[in-house]
Amino acid sequence: MQINFGARSVSCKIVYYGPGMSGKTTNIQKVHELTPGASKSDLTSIKTEGDRTLFFDFMSLDLGKVAGMDTRFQLYTVPGQVYYNATRKLVLSGADGVVFVADSSPDRMEANIESWKDLEGNLAERGTSLKDLPVVIQWNKRDVPNALTVADLEKNVNTIGAPTFHGVACAGEGVLETLKCVCSMVCKTLNAKQLKTASSERPHASAAPAANPAASTASAGAGSLSFARRVNSASAASSASAVMDAPPAPPAPAAPKMTSPAAPEPPKARPRQVEAVTSIPKERASGWTAKEIAFVAAGIVAALAAAGLGAAWLLGAL
Amino acid sequence: MATDTQLKQARMVYYAEDIQLLEQVLDRLLDLSRAKRAMLIDVEGHMVANRGQGADHLDMQTLSALVAGSFAATKETAKLLGEKEFSVLFHQGEKDSIQLTLIEDRLLLGIIFDDTTTIGMVRLYATETARKVMDVMKRPHTDKPSDGAISDAYGASVEQSLDDLFKK
Repeated sequence: MQINFGARSVSCKIVYYGPGMSGKTTNIQKVHELTPGASKSDLTSIKTEGDRTLFFDFMSLDLGKVAGMDTRFQLYTVPGQVYYNATRKLVLSGADGVVFVADSSPDRMEANIESWKDLEGNLAERGTSLKDLPVVIQWNKRDVPNALTVADLEKNVNTIGAPTFHGVACAGEGVLETLKCVCSMVCKTLNAKQLKTASSERPHASAAPAANPAASTASAGAGSLSFARRVNSASAASSASAVMDAPPAPPAPAAPKMTSPAAPEPPKARPRQVEAVTSIPKERASGWTAKEIAFVAAGIVAALAAAGLGAAWLLGAL
Repeated sequence: MATDTQLKQARMVYYAEDIQLLEQVLDRLLDLSRAKRAMLIDVEGHMVANRGQGADHLDMQTLSALVAGSFAATKETAKLLGEKEFSVLFHQGEKDSIQLTLIEDRLLLGIIFDDTTTIGMVRLYATETARKVMDVMKRPHTDKPSDGAISDAYGASVEQSLDDLFKK
């Protein structure tokens, strides 16, 4: 996913995955066919002479301005054949959502299960999992004679309880419903409440520097988005309290302070700093310390003694 | 959750100020190298910034997807040969050619040029540009209000837009 505040655009990557010949390319072809002209790119296919996907099919679906941001979904398919796994991994890289197109043909249960496990394995290699990613399943080819039952497919393939749709992609059935569902799920991963720049936290960030410079650096840009699955993050509450309560000296190892924009600013930090700054003049105003008094008194005594000795010497001289 | 700077460094969010700086860097590259078009593309296939001639007739989204795919495939080829990666790719056409330079694993600099310049000139300034691009990307995020925000209702608005698009 890319959020580009310069171009005011949001771009998401959706990958159609599934066993060979399950209808991934057909899905994307139908989406292309049903999308009005101005809202789509050309459909590009890198395929073999036999019309089998070799690398990927691609089209861009452009929604135009949505809430002030140009929004587009880049739709990719992977090659389904088992021996193209290296290529599948490349296409899957950076996917924001996956549509798993399963084949309902009676002899394709094993192929569906194998492809699902392959998806699981490829995600695991990238340090993520099916549960971390918006995934929608389409039971395609529901019109074939003796189609696998949905109950069997659910039991053997849908191990994560993903939303499912029935499809006959070649007739356009279920194609748009599947696409809309995955797009919505992807957009919901943008945690709307976090989708703000740190402007609301700026005064808070400026309160910290004297107490904890490292924490304040980490917190200066705090705010925007919740993408825990792709960017390592720290717990919001614990980090926030760490910044507030930590002693000033040892800088925290760049633990970001995350505070909900709605949360009231903890009132302790600034007063504590003010107290620390004003405490020195207070002590000075209260009077002289015993050491200082003793030092001054000794000086006076010494001066008087010197004056006495000087006077005696003068008198003696006269 | 992640900070703005983390998101920037993960190349998930590009802020307005950075995009302006990147466009300035690309403009300077075009001036010096006399190339036709310069593009910065995320390795996942998203266009980041692009400047120069030919935007009217080029499908920039497809171009960025294909460029990223091409680079990804080349990287795998490099691995098979025992290399970490091939950091520069060059495709020569009859009229126009394209050079691709990988910038620290996450960005691709694509330069389209014709015979008004030379591959040597393009390579020379591509190297300098790659360094400047990284300087921009390594700056800590400076938290400008002009960066704006995405409305809370964004998810719901996308659903509505999809419904509207396919109703037509």
